[in-house]
Amino acid sequence: MSNGGTPSQGKRDGGFEREPARRVFAAELRECRYQFRDGDDEKSPTFVLLPSGERCNRVFLVGTLTEKQRQGDQNIFYRGRVVDPTGTFFVMAGSYQPEAMQQLAKIETPAFVAVVGKPNIYQTPDGAYLISVRVESITVVDRETRDLWVLDAARSTLDRIDALAQGTAPDAPRIKEHYPSLDPATFRKIAYEALAQIKI
Amino acid sequence: MDFSITAERISVKLGQKGQSVDKKRIEAKLRRLVEEFGVQPAEAERSVTNELAKEFNLTGVGTGSGGGGGAGAKETRSIADIAPGEWVTIEGKVVSILSPPSPSIAQSGIIADPTGAIRFVAWAKANAPKMQEGAWYRIESAVVDEFKGVANLKIHSGTGIKPVIEDRALIPSVLKIGELRPGIGSVRAKVVQEWDVAHERMLQSGILGDESGTVKFVIWKESGKEKLAVGSVYTIFHAIVEEFNGRFSLNLSTATYMQEDGDITVSGGDTEVRGTIVHIAPGSGLIKRCPVEGCNRALSRQNYCPVHEIQPKFVYDLRIKGWLDDGKKTYNILLQRDVVESLTGMNLDTAQELAENNPLGMDEVFLRMRDAVLGRYVLCHGREIDNRLLVRSCERLKMESGEHTALLNRAGGAA
Repeated sequence: MSNGGTPSQGKRDGGFEREPARRVFAAELRECRYQFRDGDDEKSPTFVLLPSGERCNRVFLVGTLTEKQRQGDQNIFYRGRVVDPTGTFFVMAGSYQPEAMQQLAKIETPAFVAVVGKPNIYQTPDGAYLISVRVESITVVDRETRDLWVLDAARSTLDRIDALAQGTAPDAPRIKEHYPSLDPATFRKIAYEALAQIKI
Repeated sequence: MDFSITAERISVKLGQKGQSVDKKRIEAKLRRLVEEFGVQPAEAERSVTNELAKEFNLTGVGTGSGGGGGAGAKETRSIADIAPGEWVTIEGKVVSILSPPSPSIAQSGIIADPTGAIRFVAWAKANAPKMQEGAWYRIESAVVDEFKGVANLKIHSGTGIKPVIEDRALIPSVLKIGELRPGIGSVRAKVVQEWDVAHERMLQSGILGDESGTVKFVIWKESGKEKLAVGSVYTIFHAIVEEFNGRFSLNLSTATYMQEDGDITVSGGDTEVRGTIVHIAPGSGLIKRCPVEGCNRALSRQNYCPVHEIQPKFVYDLRIKGWLDDGKKTYNILLQRDVVESLTGMNLDTAQELAENNPLGMDEVFLRMRDAVLGRYVLCHGREIDNRLLVRSCERLKMESGEHTALLNRAGGAA
């Protein structure tokens, strides 16, 4: 939220501001339908609008890598499925991210992985939506890191819902426009169920 | 247009200095400027006055504020209240004289009154009397100008400078570091850190801090300048506040500073961030440093130091550069050797051995450290400068059941 609006855009000459990685559950990311670019510059960041009320240029997620697949002949890339307590993230790493691709190639499934990457919305010819995360880095982590992430993602989700309810979310008007029928309470329930699956 | 009134006014002014000038000649000059060159009448009056004053080598011929009678310029103003574009008269003490940066400048320095201080510049062609450091002066009809966003006082040929004879005390207003603005400022601060000097003309640089924040400082080598002692508190009068890329720094060349007793709790000294390490930058892991004393720069793979060229007798070190991200904000983090060792569990000797006995060399250390810390939750303590966090301690976060319960209640409570 600190990056909402124009301030981060104006900092081009004084050093750029890195977009923070949002913590979001698979069940929410799956519902994203609206992507926009902030600013006219070709280097302006693009954002996916999270239905719980925040723009998101980068995500941080931790889950279980259950499947990975090498695809393509000329342009090799890897696809993977990362599962969290609420659903599945689709991740991919191509030859434009050689380091990430090699990291992904090396990991044996199943494994807990931490992923930093950029979400993108794709539409298939039959009209279905697919939200895929282009991997910037992927590392094998332990269960504790996964559990910490579930807490972190739940807290972030609740923070977003609260900000939206109180009208302090900078992107609230966009939410109304692009997700008119979504009920934020859905995501509160998702967060609760994710937390309930953690055994301490 | 009638120029006789203006001409009369100029003539009177010059007359006061004992110089009589033909009014017709003044009028002709004015008419030429206004009618041929489209100059504003007020500006024409000013430039004709200056031109004649220069011709007859007169000083202190004020033009008033434009053509508006000059009342504003005669009244003594507080330095804190004057703004660029004004013609002002001030009384202040010359607290510092700087060596003029160019032959066209006769004298420059800082003049202060109890409300504030301002840099002054006297042009060589103004023929102004030289002022002495430590003395009080009344400066009449100087122009407040702006250079690089900072107000300064221009002493031109029309400016009058009169010594103030009575002995006055000057107690400058001391600001908090967080309140500093480009220009001149006085602070009471503690020397938090001293850096290796990067330039042979530089005496010392480092960081000053008080309750409101921290600021970089620099002292250039000049006669009479002494270094500050790290950990001591100083009152620093009339330093130049410079701005670069939105960050301020204090140049102490103009300042007088006194060591003081007491201590200050410096803010910004400890920032706590819980977040994830989302990126490890190149240049992390095992690195080589320049062995030249006081340099310590990181060398390239070919052992090249940007200053001291090839250094085959480098010194090994460990560090991690990267990004820490709490989901709302990102911090550029820098971990020094001891923090790296405790976070990764790999010490310098192990890392060195690994690099020497592995086909990937130093890359192997980078990869292992990356795999050990990337994507992990950590709690970092350190000093924050802009978005940069110089990390003093960094430890892995542990699962806390209390937090889990609290979140369950928060999520379930309103469902």
